[in-house]
Amino acid sequence: MGAVRVHALRDATVTIDQGEFIAIVGQSGSGKTTMMSILGCLDRPTAGRYELDGRDVNTLSDDQLAEVRSRTIGFVFQAYDLLPRTSALENVATPLLYQGIGRRERIRRATEALERLGMGHRLTHEPTEMSGGEQQRVAVARALVTEPSVLLADEPTGNLPVQQGLEVLRLLQELHDEGRTVVMITHNPDVAAIASRQIKLLDGRIVAEEAAA
Amino acid sequence: MKLHEMLRLALSRLRQGRMRAALTMLGVVIGVGSVVALVSVGKGTTVDITNRLSALGTNLLTVSPSGTAAGGSTLTVDDAIAIAQLDGVAGVAPEISTSVTVGTTVANTSTTTLVGTTADYATVRSYTVWQGTFLTIPTVELGLPVAVLGATVATDLGLGADAVGSTVTIDGLPFQVIGILQPKGGSTFNDPDNQVLVPLRAVQKSFVGGASVRTIGVSTAEASDMTTVKNAIAELLRVRHGIGASASDDFSVFDQTQLLETATSISGTLSLLLGGIASIALVVGGIGIMNIMLVSVRERTREIGIRKALGAKSRDILGQFLIEALTLSLLGGAIGVVIGLAANALIGRIAGWGFIFDPGTIVIASVFSVVVGLVFGVWPARQAARLDPVVALRYE
Repeated sequence: MGAVRVHALRDATVTIDQGEFIAIVGQSGSGKTTMMSILGCLDRPTAGRYELDGRDVNTLSDDQLAEVRSRTIGFVFQAYDLLPRTSALENVATPLLYQGIGRRERIRRATEALERLGMGHRLTHEPTEMSGGEQQRVAVARALVTEPSVLLADEPTGNLPVQQGLEVLRLLQELHDEGRTVVMITHNPDVAAIASRQIKLLDGRIVAEEAAA
Repeated sequence: MKLHEMLRLALSRLRQGRMRAALTMLGVVIGVGSVVALVSVGKGTTVDITNRLSALGTNLLTVSPSGTAAGGSTLTVDDAIAIAQLDGVAGVAPEISTSVTVGTTVANTSTTTLVGTTADYATVRSYTVWQGTFLTIPTVELGLPVAVLGATVATDLGLGADAVGSTVTIDGLPFQVIGILQPKGGSTFNDPDNQVLVPLRAVQKSFVGGASVRTIGVSTAEASDMTTVKNAIAELLRVRHGIGASASDDFSVFDQTQLLETATSISGTLSLLLGGIASIALVVGGIGIMNIMLVSVRERTREIGIRKALGAKSRDILGQFLIEALTLSLLGGAIGVVIGLAANALIGRIAGWGFIFDPGTIVIASVFSVVVGLVFGVWPARQAARLDPVVALRYE
């Protein structure tokens, strides 16, 4: 690398308010994932600014970024990305581990989160023992267990059959209704339609911003 | 993340891949096991040699004829008497020996070594009497036909405590048993208990003619006198044997402590060598751990990405992998210590020096396995900790 500088995102100025339900839409290569990485504090923008809760992310150290991810952001990945060979309960409890919360409390809160998503009967199951929909529910439970103010979902329905995908979308809608900020990334315009605002990306540029009808 | 949480994570991870964990540990197990076993073998050898040498007699100097003398020994009983006059000499025991057949009245016989000596022999060679008495000065002076039996001889002849006072035949000649010695134990090749002691003069009278003796055992009063007494004996014998300043001695004086020091230093070097070879196994074991940890970091790149996205700091990841490597090496080390000790007990039993427990070796082995875990675990753990979460999450 280094030889060619690729601008994954250009002139992409966006403001997301607390409690919004945003869909970032675009084809692959449009800069969605880069957008997600920056919004999720997994990466810092090489140029430009990203302010989260009024703090400039560029000024934060790696550890501070980890802290922001731990406290403020909940991730739901396309491939669910549960920890392999780890029970649903332990998976959901993991973000709490990195907050330094004791084991008993972790288990209590993880159980609660799983029960809330209707996965109370799957506590000891490992990812390979669950369907895609179930795994995605566990992933959502894991994203919620820390009570984050922002939920980032990267193609949350991408790997799911239509019915299970709809359930996950309903879940996101519900979380948004509770007052959480939800940012969903998708290439599917139908999925994006449930968000209250859509940001369309093309070649790293924002080509359209429209509120839901 | 707290240490015990990391430990829990490491242990559950190792439980998930038991076979792999066991194989990874195997290198350290073998390394630590062989360090513990081999160093103990070295120590055992040292202890064994020391015991055997001190069993020969304390503060012992042995005067022997050297090869230059033509035919027979150049040492005489008179030499022994002269040595006894030197300062610092506690006891002098000239010895003549020959091979004989000893028999009892009930016709048991045994082939053994007949040693003609003096009353000092018990002190000089560190024998203690089990039953009866040792050779006394009057019996030695008179060359009476009395015998003190070594423990092996007594057993071979079927003689017990009540045999004191009975008569045995030595090559057909009757001798009265006045004592039986306490067994010393020792090598089967040169059993110090397989001998019959009789007054020197009795041997000269009936078995070996002449005034020459095979060796003269000399014990010094103080261990610190050894060198002085040794030199004095050499000086005395040169004069007595009329050896000129340029001529070489027709005798030699062996110093027990020298022998001991040499033997100890040899076995010390041996221990070091064995330990050194074993530590190579340990290093190889460490490299095995590093190898597996590196593979593990590669395999778990995505997991590391997820953990970072979930809020893990670099040091959490570093700690997780380091603790995993440390757990492997420590567990391997512990198993190695147990196996090493077991091997040590087994070898000790076979070799006959018993179980030698050396806490130092175990401490060193444990420290080594921690060091191995740290040294070979740090690099993979740093690789894991440094992963960029974005890259790690994209890794398939």
